Order: sequence, then structure tokens, then C-alpha cells
Amino acid sequence: MPDAAQGTSRRRFLAGALGTAGVAAAGAGFGAGFGTARATTDDGTPTPHPAAAEVPFYAVHQAGIDTAAQDRLAFAAFDVTSTDRDDLQVLLASWAAAAAQMTQGEHIGADDIDPTRPPLDTGEAVGLPASQLTITVGFGPSLFDDRFGFRDKRPKALEPLPQIPGDADLQEEISHGDLCVQACANDPVVAFHAIRNFARIARGTAVMRWSQLGFGRTSSTTHAQATPRNLMGFKDGTNNLKAEDTAEMAKFVWVGDEADQTWMRGGTYLVSRRIRMLIESWDTDDLDDQQAVFGRFKTSGAPLTGKAEFDTVDLGAKTADGKDVVDLNAHIRLAAPSQNDGIKLLRRGYSYTDGIDQRTGYLDAGLFFIAFCRNAHEQFVPVQSRLGQHDRLNEYIVHTSSGLFAVPRGLTGPGDYWGKDLFT
Amino acid sequence: MPARALPRPVLIAGVTGSLAALLTACSSSGGGASDPTGGSGTTAAADPRVANVTITAAGGCAPDKTSFPAGGITVKINNKDANAVSEVEILDGVRILGEKEGVVAGLNGEFAVTVDAGEYTLYCPGATPEKTTLTVTGEAAQGDEDIAALLKDGTTAYAAYVEDQTGYLVEATEKLNTALKGSDLKAAQDAYKVARPFYEKIEPVAESFTVGEENLDADIDARDGDVPAGEWRGFHKIEKGLFEDNSLTGLVPLGDELVTNVKKLQTLTTGLTYQPTELANGAQELLDEVANGKITGEEERYSHIDILDMNFNVEGAEQAFGQLVPALQKIDKTLADTVLARFTDLKTLIAKYKTDSDASGFKLYNELSDADKKDLAAAVKAVVEPLSKVASKVANA
Repeated sequence: MPDAAQGTSRRRFLAGALGTAGVAAAGAGFGAGFGTARATTDDGTPTPHPAAAEVPFYAVHQAGIDTAAQDRLAFAAFDVTSTDRDDLQVLLASWAAAAAQMTQGEHIGADDIDPTRPPLDTGEAVGLPASQLTITVGFGPSLFDDRFGFRDKRPKALEPLPQIPGDADLQEEISHGDLCVQACANDPVVAFHAIRNFARIARGTAVMRWSQLGFGRTSSTTHAQATPRNLMGFKDGTNNLKAEDTAEMAKFVWVGDEADQTWMRGGTYLVSRRIRMLIESWDTDDLDDQQAVFGRFKTSGAPLTGKAEFDTVDLGAKTADGKDVVDLNAHIRLAAPSQNDGIKLLRRGYSYTDGIDQRTGYLDAGLFFIAFCRNAHEQFVPVQSRLGQHDRLNEYIVHTSSGLFAVPRGLTGPGDYWGKDLFT
Repeated sequence: MPARALPRPVLIAGVTGSLAALLTACSSSGGGASDPTGGSGTTAAADPRVANVTITAAGGCAPDKTSFPAGGITVKINNKDANAVSEVEILDGVRILGEKEGVVAGLNGEFAVTVDAGEYTLYCPGATPEKTTLTVTGEAAQGDEDIAALLKDGTTAYAAYVEDQTGYLVEATEKLNTALKGSDLKAAQDAYKVARPFYEKIEPVAESFTVGEENLDADIDARDGDVPAGEWRGFHKIEKGLFEDNSLTGLVPLGDELVTNVKKLQTLTTGLTYQPTELANGAQELLDEVANGKITGEEERYSHIDILDMNFNVEGAEQAFGQLVPALQKIDKTLADTVLARFTDLKTLIAKYKTDSDASGFKLYNELSDADKKDLAAAVKAVVEPLSKVASKVANA
């Protein structure tokens, strides 16, 4: 919220230039570039890049879902260690106040003028623009036990995910959690700063259970964005839902008035899956086979039955000798809405690497898959069950982490906070 | 003999007693977070002893009245929508008389102060305006115990505590040295475990004597690699001989030298006086010791008695903090309660590892799982975070 009266912008030197223009531009789907925020005009004054701008924090839905996918991700899951309901309430309200400031490029709290106490903001983002930072908070199924009296407030759709084919390698210690926080920005320092300060505010009330950094978006969530490639070198997600298609967003992403829990109206569900790619094996697979696995041409991104990326795939197409052009177990076929009763998801994943696997020396890298949907049990589970069982891609990937979180509505304004409806 | 069997100062009992009193008071005060639709109602507005403070982004920090009768005043806060504001204080000059933290946008909170006639400042850091002058008239019904006097009592008591502990340290180190000169390895190992806690309780005081090349803490407590190899001496070099080499060979000169150094520490600390902020910061440093050295098992890498160290770092921290509690209770009762409660949680967690199977009185650290260590680390940080706010509250008192 523009609040000239309080708070000092951590990018005071940009404030005048960015002000309203930045906010107006933010929602319009930039994000193709980053690192250009410090470009200067002829007279030496900095000119803001749209990728540096603010995304409005207060809105009907939380930002970071239908926001044009930013370039960087910092994600964390927390377990609440306090059993005091007041502590949880103070935590969520403190997070909301901090997020309202950070997403607008401000530091947390007032200016630190008291030298005898630690600064309220950790400071590493001072001088950096908002960088389209969005902070999206969700609640895991485990939050709705007896600790806080939320047992009767758990939506049916927040049943823990069932075991899905391909779940054999999931690691409990990097899966699930009471709370999740997704911070996306065009600057990795800005994204990390948000998660770090959330963890700091949480100390004594909640601890970080696991976290994941993502260094490059693998999804486009608006028509304006080009489809990026995953670490296998393919454009995956060409047919993703797009924010502009509001009817489809309402149908597949946003929880409506039918919600069994009113507090979930305007919300959605987040599914996270850390999908490690067996990169060394993939890199030795011949191009024909790689393309057969995905069902797309590697360079153009076109389906094997077409010429351009957005051509509709013809799953019935046969070769001259009568074989399927698109393999029966190709990723594109199994994931296609037409093969899944029309089901769609909003994918918003990021490439990750955590260095190498010390046991083998192989790269530990892949896709941190994030999807938003109205009901994961009706959308994610059936699609992933097919993929997990039949996808040719399974030879080259391992799912190592899984999470399901209820993402409540957006906040109405200062004084509102995540889960406020749960405390009344 | 486990070190914990040795006599303790009586102070802990005082801290525990006041904690019980605080918790009772807390449960009836209705403090903490509550629904913003409740809180400062119209009936309270009529009470001349209640300041209803509304915080908004547009209007700053506004009390419903600025004149009060002397005596107890309750400040009821409702932060409607000011994201940059999370605390409210009452100041007498620069001295904080009372404070409430965690009143972020959307939440309520309250605290109480006792004031005599005069001018005071209502201070809401980050609000615009952030300061309002409050005028108090008349005589307070009952004299309030002066915060400054309480703090002075606390620092004096802490000085006595440090002197006691250094006395025990000298005694136990001399016994260790005697054992090193004998031939019973097990007896020497046990004597090492008895001597360690006394140093761990007061380590920041020893660290304060680090000036330039002089480093008494390193002479007493350096680990292999902390200092150039030729300068390594003290407890941990003895530990390596006793627990890794399993031999008393060559340890006598080290024992003699250690006795000399702990006596030097005793001389330096005798008659020393402390500032309240030093107690707060010292408590924090002790817990940082736990978080950065003991949790990783790097401190007692040969004997694995890290939980023993941890236990007494925590005890030393609680002793230092405990001396500030009577004053802090008046300044920021919620914070005092929180820190005390989190100390209790941490001690409860550490107590899980008590056992008679080792002379240290605790499980050896290499028997703990990674999950156990993670729980300990989180419990330590849960104390440190609110504790880090204490120094500023007692700084100008």
C-alpha cells in the first residue's frame, strides 16, 4: 500500500521514478528480463525496468499465482513448534505486515534508530528494487490437527495426498509441513531475503522444515511470456493455463462459493514436487528418443505432429507404416487435457540445483514443480497417477519431495493477515 | 561425581518463583494477541487509568487521552493497519518504563506501567507521528520499586555469581590437575567432566578479557585449530590426551598451566562490576556458544560431553538473564514471560538426555540423532530471538 507517511523505501533513490508507474506496470506480465534495474539514462539517473517493479500485495487472490512467473524462487515449509494459538496468530499477522513492506520494496519495520538492539530487517536487500517480489502463503493438512482448534476447519480438499505411482523415493524430511511460503522475484537476493526474514520472525513459534531455491522459471503463466525450457532442454508447459484466460482460471484454479470451508473462497491449492532429473543419463539419450519421450521436437517445441510450438497435437496421427507418431507413453500424450477428462493445472515450477550428490558425483538438479489447482485430489492426483505409472519420462526422473497446501484468499488491506478467518 | 551435584547459588529459586507469579498474573491480564474487534471497548474509554491507543497508517499512534492520574496506567493498543509499527513504549526521558511488542497490524495488545506526576512519552516506533506527550498529575497511591534499583541489585548479584563460579572453577581445575599427576585415567577423565561446567557458565566474562594478543579464553578453552598449533593449550588439549589418546602422558605441564590461567581469571573477575546490558548480551553470547559450537558437536570432540557444556551454558545464560527479570517484568512483562518460558522449554529438552551412564550426567553427544540436534538448535534459537531484545530495554533504565 502506498503509505508515504511511514516506512522508508529500501530503494529510496528509485522511489520517485517507480512510484505509480511501477505499480501499474507490475501486473501486466513482464518478467522476461532481470538484472537491468540499474540501467541509467543519459544524464545518469537510474531508470527502472518493469522487472524491478512492485506487484500489488493486497488483492482478491494472493499474488504469486496468476502473476507472470518471475525468474527466481525461494520456497520454504515450516512446522509450528508452539502450541499456543496466540503465537500462531501473531506469527501470521507479523508475516503479513512484513510481506506488505517487502513486496513494495520497503524494509521491514520502522527505520532502525536504536543501536542497542538488532535491526528489524536483516538488510541484504537494502538498495534493491521490489523486483516483482510476491509472497504466497499456504497451510498444510497437518496444521488442522488439535493444536490450534482448527480440526473442524480443514477443507475436504486438504486431505493429505494419497500415495501415487512413482512416490517410492519421496523423502519425508523434505516433504509436507504446517505452513508453506513461496517467494518469487526477479532477483535471487530479494527472494531469499523474504524467506530468511520470515524464518527469523518465526523463531520460537515455527521452524523451517525444508526449503528449496529455484534459479529459473520453467513455466509461462501469461500469453506474453515465452515458454522457457526445463533442464532437459525441452519446452514443457506450452499448454499451461494462462492468467488472462479468466474463465479457465475460475474453472481450474480459484476455489469458489462451493467451498465446504468459507475461508477457502478465493483461494487455491498448491502442490509442490521436487523432481530430480537423472541428467547424466538423459544427456546420453539420442535426440530421437528424447523427442519421443516428450512427444515434441526439442528445438522448436512443436508437437511431433506439428510445425510450431502452439500447434495442437494430433494424438491419433500415424506414420506411413501405421505406428503412432506420438508414442503411447509420451509425456505430451499422458499429460494432455484431452486424455485426462479435460483436467488442467496452473504450473509454476522452477529449475533447481543443489550441487552434486556426494555419493555419486552426479548432478542433483531438476524441476521444483509447483502447480495451483482448485482441488488437487481431482486434478493433480489423476494426472500424476497416469504419469507416474506410464510416462516414458520416469526413466529419467525421481520425485523426492511432495507437498499439498491450502492457499487462502488474498489479503484485503493492512490489518488483514493469512488465516485471519480461522481465528474468529 | 556429576558436576550438577555441586552447590548452586540460591538465585535460580528466586527466578522460578517470580516466573510462577508472572504466569498467574498473565493468565488474568488478557494480554497477547486477540481479535481486533474486541479489545478497547467503550467502557474502557471512560476509565481514567486506561490509555486506549489506536495505531493507523494515516493517523499514527493516537491515545484517546493524554492526561492521567498518578499510579497504575494500562495501555490498550489496537493496531488497525500500520504495517511498519509493531511496538508501543512509555518513556520517562530516554528510559523505557513499559513496552509491548508484537502488536502488528490487525492485532491488539496491552501493558501496564506505574507512574508518578510528570511528563512521559508515548512512543510508537515507525508511526507518524510516533511520539505523544502524556501528562501525569497527583501522587501515586503506592511507591513503585525503582527499576534502576532493581537492575543494580541484579548486576551486584551477578557479580557475586561470577565470583562463586570462578572459585569453583579454580577448585575443580586443581582437582583435575591432581588427577593428571596420578595414574588413574578414569579418575582424570571424570575430573575433567566435573571442571568443565564452571567455565561454561561464565565464558563470556572470560572472553571480555581478550585484548590484542592477550586471549585468556583461548588459553583456557581453545579447540585444536582455533590457534596456531604451537600455542594450543588448556582444557581441550587435555581432553584430547584423556579421551582420544587415552593416556596421561605429557598432560601435567598442561594441567599446571591451566590452573595458572583459571587463577588469573579469578583475579581479574574479583571485584568486577557489570552493566545490565552486559548481562543481557552475556546471556546471549552463552546461547550463541551453544548454537554455534555445541550443536555441531565441535566443542567436546573427544569426550563428546557437549550436552554437559550446553546445559551449563544455558544455566549461565539463565542466571545472567534472571538477574534482569524483576526489572524487565516492569518494563516489558510479555518479553520477560516469553524468555523465561522458552528457557524452561530448552531446559526440559536438555533434561531428556540426563543419564547416570556417563560421569557427565548426560548422554554422549555422538549418541544423538540429527533430528535430536535439530530440535535442540531450534529450542536455543527460540530463546535467543526474544532475548536479543532485552539489552535495549535495560540499556537506559
